[in-house]
Amino acid sequence: MNPWLQIAARSLARNRRRSIFTLLAIGFGFAAVNIFAGFTEYMFVSLRDGFIYVYGNGHLTLFKKGFSNEGQLEPRNYLLTESDLAAIKAACKADPRIMLATPKLYLSGMVSNGKSSSIAIAFGIVPSDIAFIASRATGTVSSAKLYYGQPLRDDVSFGVGVGKGVASKLNLNPGADGTLMSPTVDGQMNALDIKVVQTFNAPVEALSDKLMVVPLSFAQSLYDTKSVDRVCVLLKDTADTDAVMQSLNAAFVAKGPAVEIKTWYAISDMYERTKKMFDIIFMFVFIIVMIIVVISVINTVTMSVMERIQEIGTLRALGLKRHGILKLFALESGLLGTLGCLVGLVLTLTTWTAVKIAKPTWVPPAISHRVPLEIYLVPHYLVISFACLVTLSMIAAIFPARKAARANIVESLGHV
Amino acid sequence: MSLVELKAVRKSYSLGETQIDAVRGVDLEINAHEFVAVWGPSGSGKSTLCHLMGIIDSPTSGTVSFRGQDVTTLSDDRQSEVRNDSIGFIFQSFNLVPVLTALENVMLPLQIRGETKAIAHEKSMARLREAGIEGHAHHRPHKLSGGQRQRVAIARALVTDPDLVIADEPTANLDTPTAHRILDLMREVNRSRGTAFVFSTHDQRLLDRVTRQIHLRDGVIEEDKLIPS
Repeated sequence: MNPWLQIAARSLARNRRRSIFTLLAIGFGFAAVNIFAGFTEYMFVSLRDGFIYVYGNGHLTLFKKGFSNEGQLEPRNYLLTESDLAAIKAACKADPRIMLATPKLYLSGMVSNGKSSSIAIAFGIVPSDIAFIASRATGTVSSAKLYYGQPLRDDVSFGVGVGKGVASKLNLNPGADGTLMSPTVDGQMNALDIKVVQTFNAPVEALSDKLMVVPLSFAQSLYDTKSVDRVCVLLKDTADTDAVMQSLNAAFVAKGPAVEIKTWYAISDMYERTKKMFDIIFMFVFIIVMIIVVISVINTVTMSVMERIQEIGTLRALGLKRHGILKLFALESGLLGTLGCLVGLVLTLTTWTAVKIAKPTWVPPAISHRVPLEIYLVPHYLVISFACLVTLSMIAAIFPARKAARANIVESLGHV
Repeated sequence: MSLVELKAVRKSYSLGETQIDAVRGVDLEINAHEFVAVWGPSGSGKSTLCHLMGIIDSPTSGTVSFRGQDVTTLSDDRQSEVRNDSIGFIFQSFNLVPVLTALENVMLPLQIRGETKAIAHEKSMARLREAGIEGHAHHRPHKLSGGQRQRVAIARALVTDPDLVIADEPTANLDTPTAHRILDLMREVNRSRGTAFVFSTHDQRLLDRVTRQIHLRDGVIEEDKLIPS
């Protein structure tokens, strides 16, 4: 073993109690950072997969160009025609990274049970396509119960799903009949009978008493159009999202139709806001942990230096250079950091295993039902926090060790 | 050329508001092969003089030359290299690194120099054997007696084959038989290898064995005499 590492290791062992407390401080810091990082990663993955698979949005959504800015004001001008849809589907079919392209038509109106009515936002979907997208989900979200009742069918256009809030508010539970009213594309009022076949949990609780899901053919009949307002694209691999968007953009610029393409993360406000919030919280946790670790290590190394001033003087007299003293204490501190991180790794793995076994559930904010709570092991967070803690531990040792290295040798030798 | 040469060396310390002149204008030469004692009462400046010769302290004024080179102008790193290459130290309280074994302590100066572990091990075992302490090579200092520790310290001081060994009160903490054995060992090294020894002492047992006595009083050399062996 390197003699300096040997001195470092044995010096740590010599002051066992102090070293153990510092190891625990580093270990708990490491575990705190990685458990929190694992929880935020679980949140991000769940939000992402929930948006893409559970709610059937896919990875990319194509709109008629200008839809984002003017689509709400002039909906008829921003619909994708049957020929547009055919061109989009053909382009998607040509790309092996794309699994599915499914049209949708969103509309708003009033839903009534015959006695009372309420505002409704309805998503017109192709039920078989959405079922296929949901079937591609993996991990936590794959076990999410999507609806209560019967699945929507492509061939039963009047069979619809309503949010639990709508069902509760208007007593429109599965099996109930009602009416959905909406203006047509020309602005005339239109109404069609519906039969509720399912209820579902809305992605955001505030929308639970407004959301409905209807077959696309029903939405097109109500809206009096053969067009759709968007096409959702499902990819084989989420990592290809940006690349496929660029390819499609290039293809449509060259051959038309004129479309704008949004990625899942650009559309999902919830994902972006939650990610930013947790990133900020994580940054604070990380900084606090780093400060605690640095203070602990400085304290430990300072005490070690104070106790070993005569030893430092002896080593200097024997010819060890100043940077050799720095190296000695940096090694000791780095070893402390490394062992502390290993303790932290054990704590992290223990917590991860405990959560895996206990399978706790929780109700996240804005979600109306219990979901499994998980903590992911995130390799890059483990590696980065390990490297940061060991590096910071070594840097923290420099301040007290530098003072000792620069001390007068005779004074150090005479130190008692 | 003398091994160590001090010219008009002064060393002052500040102790609070008091200025202490530990060494006051000393001129001195130490030659290779010498076995010298610097002696005098406490506070006479003998330790300070040894520290200056050992390049672990710098004079307030004057020059200290080692093998003709003024070492006071060298960088700290270069001074460290000169110490490691050419000077060995033996301390009154042994100053062994407590977490290392006797062998590892002796290997230290060689490992500081960058010698391989195998070479350092071989040379260190040889020195421990010479010092008659090889049987305790794997013991830590707290398991050794005072005499054994001092033998380890001597082995450490000699392991780099230095030109000069500075020994600060090397027999002060030892009983008389042990002190004699230690002195025999150092005298033998001095004779066989020509290593110069400079002792700071007021131990009569040691003064009786040296070939030159430098008597210091109040920071100046009062007497410098050769003792016929």
